[in-house]
Amino acid sequence: MGHTSLDKIKALQKNPANVRNLCILAHVDHGKTTLADSLVASNGIISSRLAGKLRYLDSREDEQIRGITMKSSAISLHYASGEKDYLINLIDSPGHVDFSSEVSTAVRLCDGAIVIVDAVEGVCPQTQAVLRQAWLENIRPVLVINKIDRLIMELKLTSQEAYTHLQKILEQVNAVTGSLFTSKVLEDRAVKEERAEEDKEEGDIKPAECPGSEQVYDWSAGLEDSDDSQLYFSPDQGNVVFASAIDGWGFSIQQFAQIHSQRMGIRAEVLLKTLWGDFYLNAKAKKIMKGAHAKGKKPLFVQLVLDNIWSLYDAVVTRRDKEKIEKMMMSLGVKVMTRDSRHSDPKVLLSAICSQWLPVSQAVLFMVCDKLPSPLDMTSERIERLMSVGARRFHSLPLQTQELKTAFMQCSSDDTAPVIVFVSKMFMVDAKALPQNKQRPLTQEEMAQRRELARQRHTERLAAIQQTESGEGNAQSGSTTPATTPGQMQGLPLKAKPEEEEEKETFVAFARVYSGVVRRGQKVFVMGPKYDPAQGLACLPPVPHLACCTMDSLYLLMGRELEELEEVPSGNVLGIGGLEECVLKSATLSTSPALPPFIPLNFEATPIVRVAIEPKHPSEMPKLVRGMRLLNQADPCAEVLIQETGEHVLVTAGEVHLQRCLDDLRERFAKIEISASKPIIPFRETVIRPPKVDMVNEDLGKQQKVAVIHQVKESDTLHLDPSGLVTLTTPNRQATVGVRAIPLPEEVTLLLEGSADLIRTLEQAGQAQREGRTLDMSTWTLDALMVLKSRLEVLLQGRKWRNAVDRIWAFGPRRYGPNILLNSVEGYQRPSVWHCLEREKGEKEGGAKAEASAIRDFDNSVVSGFQLATLSGPMCEEPLMGVCFSVERWDMNFPTQRTHLDSVTEKDSNSLDASVSESPGEGAMAGASHGRLVDCYGPFSGQLIAAVKEACRHAFQAKPQRLMAAMYTCEIMATAEVLGRVYGVLGKREGRVLQEEMKEGTEMFIIKAVLPVAESFGFADEIRKRTSGLASPQLVFSHWEVISSDPSWVPTTEEEYLHFGEKADSANQALKYMNGVRRRKGLYVEEKIVEHGEKQRTLSKNK
Amino acid sequence: MSIFTPTNQIRLTNVAVVRMKKGGKRFEIACYKNKVMSWRSGAEKDLDEVLQTSSVFNNVSKGQVAKKDDLSKAFGTDDLTEICKEILAKGELQVSDKERQSQLETSFRDIATIVAEKCVNLETKRPYTVNLIERAMKDIHYSVKANKSTKQQALEVIRQLKDSIEIQRAHMRLRLVLPAKEGKRLKEKLKPLLKVVESEDFDDQLEMVCLVDPGCFREIDELIRCETKGKGSLEVLSLKDVEEGDERLE
Repeated sequence: MGHTSLDKIKALQKNPANVRNLCILAHVDHGKTTLADSLVASNGIISSRLAGKLRYLDSREDEQIRGITMKSSAISLHYASGEKDYLINLIDSPGHVDFSSEVSTAVRLCDGAIVIVDAVEGVCPQTQAVLRQAWLENIRPVLVINKIDRLIMELKLTSQEAYTHLQKILEQVNAVTGSLFTSKVLEDRAVKEERAEEDKEEGDIKPAECPGSEQVYDWSAGLEDSDDSQLYFSPDQGNVVFASAIDGWGFSIQQFAQIHSQRMGIRAEVLLKTLWGDFYLNAKAKKIMKGAHAKGKKPLFVQLVLDNIWSLYDAVVTRRDKEKIEKMMMSLGVKVMTRDSRHSDPKVLLSAICSQWLPVSQAVLFMVCDKLPSPLDMTSERIERLMSVGARRFHSLPLQTQELKTAFMQCSSDDTAPVIVFVSKMFMVDAKALPQNKQRPLTQEEMAQRRELARQRHTERLAAIQQTESGEGNAQSGSTTPATTPGQMQGLPLKAKPEEEEEKETFVAFARVYSGVVRRGQKVFVMGPKYDPAQGLACLPPVPHLACCTMDSLYLLMGRELEELEEVPSGNVLGIGGLEECVLKSATLSTSPALPPFIPLNFEATPIVRVAIEPKHPSEMPKLVRGMRLLNQADPCAEVLIQETGEHVLVTAGEVHLQRCLDDLRERFAKIEISASKPIIPFRETVIRPPKVDMVNEDLGKQQKVAVIHQVKESDTLHLDPSGLVTLTTPNRQATVGVRAIPLPEEVTLLLEGSADLIRTLEQAGQAQREGRTLDMSTWTLDALMVLKSRLEVLLQGRKWRNAVDRIWAFGPRRYGPNILLNSVEGYQRPSVWHCLEREKGEKEGGAKAEASAIRDFDNSVVSGFQLATLSGPMCEEPLMGVCFSVERWDMNFPTQRTHLDSVTEKDSNSLDASVSESPGEGAMAGASHGRLVDCYGPFSGQLIAAVKEACRHAFQAKPQRLMAAMYTCEIMATAEVLGRVYGVLGKREGRVLQEEMKEGTEMFIIKAVLPVAESFGFADEIRKRTSGLASPQLVFSHWEVISSDPSWVPTTEEEYLHFGEKADSANQALKYMNGVRRRKGLYVEEKIVEHGEKQRTLSKNK
Repeated sequence: MSIFTPTNQIRLTNVAVVRMKKGGKRFEIACYKNKVMSWRSGAEKDLDEVLQTSSVFNNVSKGQVAKKDDLSKAFGTDDLTEICKEILAKGELQVSDKERQSQLETSFRDIATIVAEKCVNLETKRPYTVNLIERAMKDIHYSVKANKSTKQQALEVIRQLKDSIEIQRAHMRLRLVLPAKEGKRLKEKLKPLLKVVESEDFDDQLEMVCLVDPGCFREIDELIRCETKGKGSLEVLSLKDVEEGDERLE
């Protein structure tokens, strides 16, 4: 077949009945790209000699080097069967688990799928995954059993054995399909039950859903009622092809049925039914009989099909019998060029013969055209699924939207049909590869500029849409025919024509037309994933998630090449240029605002491998940020974010995916040197109640401590009493504070953390209050605050916490964290944090304001000291969590009295400064005291801050201190046989299994576990490796957890000495973490530089 | 074999000498290398891991052992272990290679950590990571001075880094309350010290929320205290004005 011209393809595109959109799915290395090669070769794009070796669709360099596909790529092929011409839009997809997002993008655009299974390896984890994906997207699969040559050449099976082997594989595949079907039926029934109940409540039972309510308790009904015979793969159904893509042959039963029906005089239909299965040929009677297995006869398939192939391989490859080959070629009617037959490698000859005898492309393409649906045959079920975003049911969508369903069904290319396009991903194309080479390359800077501009324009545009839509008002709310929509678009400011910009790479959208005709330069609406058609139709001013853009150019995707097109009719796969400003990763485009966005792509693997990325040269930071933005757009699965710590984090699906992303960043997007490292892991510090038992679970009370730990150096300004109260005096001896650290109950910590925003509002209000302003708070916030207060009161009970809630002085760090500063100073009255609440209620006190402004000076210093102390704890300078600092003493002894501290310090100051009498001239003395306050230790407020901070830290250290680690909840789906290994990996990484249950209707187990974030680096990769990819974890941050071991622990009791020895150098998890953080921060780490002194060397030669 | 390098010459390859002069005499002890600092910091608790031998020398390399009389005269005891401990604690020592290296490394990191804590990226208002600062410090060939405090050096580094990367000290957010009559005058004085004035409210007193460079804090504090005689006040709203929360790049 010659090269198909562009015109031909254009003509073919117009007839959707003869268009097939399909993708090739399989486990990694089962031969997807090789098969695609054979199909491409059939169109004369590459030489058939190179098919299988070239891997034409693997256009990236690293794909060729690694030998795995990393992206999905499309190509349009022409296939003539009989007098019918078909257009095949073929999408090759990657098989590696890291790139399953690419599979999702491919599957979405297709109507059918070729699932390939390796004849030797059988069903592999990814095979199951892709079958599931195809199933979820409602597309029809056909099966290709590939690499049959390996059965002959590697496993040396006889044809009989090979037959049983193939049967087994087929059973495996059907088992997977079956289990998918069962789980779906079960699920459906559950949904139906729910809906039926809902409907009953609503009072309008739709006739279509009525049967659901009857089935509620009928467990068997669901499975038996649903017909599943169509689902399974069976050669006699014609949806299975046996192939060896590398040798270029493949066949379906039909082909052999036809060949043999002529030769044996048995009708083709009969042969077709009996060729696969337990049938044998009774030579004498010339009859086909049942029960080959029982009678020990060769099944028909072995006799008529496999034996022929086996003997061919035997003759050509094994024995190299020239004469026999000649004879076989004669009988097959195959002519081989002398160059091939003389070739020293028998494989060349073999593929030359086979590709003429049983060309794989013919077999596969015939099956595809025959069995897979055309865009016209899209099931209404699939359309409804696509259009029902979230949990919304199709029937609840607006009426106009429901009408669009018919547009889907008709798939018409009329001008009146609404245009519906789905973009599943954006990919980068070298501008040189674009057909319109007029475009000069664009530098990175300009591109970013353009993006910036576009973003601005985008917002403007949004605003404009809102205006026009509100302006046009109800005029077009009734009808959504495309006739009115252009008018609506007229009002939108047009995108400025790209000026003389130079670009090296552009984004092309990988898309498919579902309805209508897409023309170059056409303007369409872009629906964001959260767009709600009801809002768009109502024409209310704010229409979120809706934009408008122009399709600058349309391309026919031909693997690595693109052909420019003027228009693309419905039902085809295409590339669209000029969308990079409107479309981030995927989008729905339409001329009708009634269209809801399609349901988001269903990704099998969520991104979980996190790395921090930094440029080699710090000055290239902006380039990196730009590059990461581009990467985010180009990759459907990668996520990029900037963390609070300033780290740029890249989240990918797996190690291979990560490698590709890094390569892309280096070579295409950022073009700078970068380094990736383990991300910074946050910790929290806390105190706990003194433990009752020691490390060997002995009761502490009964034993005597052998060693004393926690020696706090006491100096003249610092005093520590055994109950944990720390008193500290400022360097100038004018103030003394006494602080005690108390662990907060866990629930309180949780509550405080959960209501950080609320506390921040409270703090702001309090701040305003002290200035005498009033900050308006909504009644809702007030109520929420009251609830928070009462909940705290409930949680903080007991003698220790009496009135604690009212005595709360501040929260920290940053004034809204999960730590509390408690005012327990006797006689010191200060408004609590809740003060403003009561004030809001109208209990205004006359003198409060004057008092408030008077105490602010030093009250604030205490709070600041507390904030500083909670921001970085003494263990490794990480924030504190769940600690309450109770200030129990606060004495100030100035030479002069400060009125606001009268109540506190009167006694002290009188006794100490008896000589200084109460001064009448307050103003003059205040100035004097200020003059004296600035002494050699700096301003007094600063000293107080430092003193409070130090006191808090010492108080913290006086209690048993612990580290808190961030935890992930980890959900792992695994099959029963790898369960043990999953547990092994979890155990090794300090994970803890919470629960494990079997998923209904499948043989998958769902394991829920928690895992420290610190141990998660490389976790996904390890678990995949250990389970051969049968378990896939998902990690989500869940909570903070106290690490039970004490970082400063040394054996103290006799039992501990016995158990751990004097050194106790067994692994201490908390110490390991703490030292890691300290080392990273350049803090002092208590460890020896060398463990043992080295021996004297007598070095005479090199001194 | 040349006569200049006799083979029987013993070189001490693993000996770190700790010296102390007391009572007009020089005392030395022989220790293992890279161990003395660990002993001083308390990480090493076993004296035998530190000392080569518990005898006290006048000169270690010559092998002259100190006389008992001298020892008891200088230290008031003849318990060698006690004397060794005293010399270890107070004597001057030669810092060994690994000790020095780890010391410099630690202070280098410490400086980087301080810089990272204090500074933000000018564009994004987000902090730089310590790693990046370290790399930038290496790029400008910053060498750590052992005798200067890390904080001092960090301020020096910030100044130098400004040339190569977009870095800036994170601003402090302050609230100033000035009495009305002083307000105008003071504002003029304060103006050069303030970076950004976020809000200004002038009714019965002048109230300003502004961002300042942390270096100017003391100056502002002083100015307000002195000029208003304690009537004006200043409050730190946040020590560091940085973006909070994670941001998704899109």
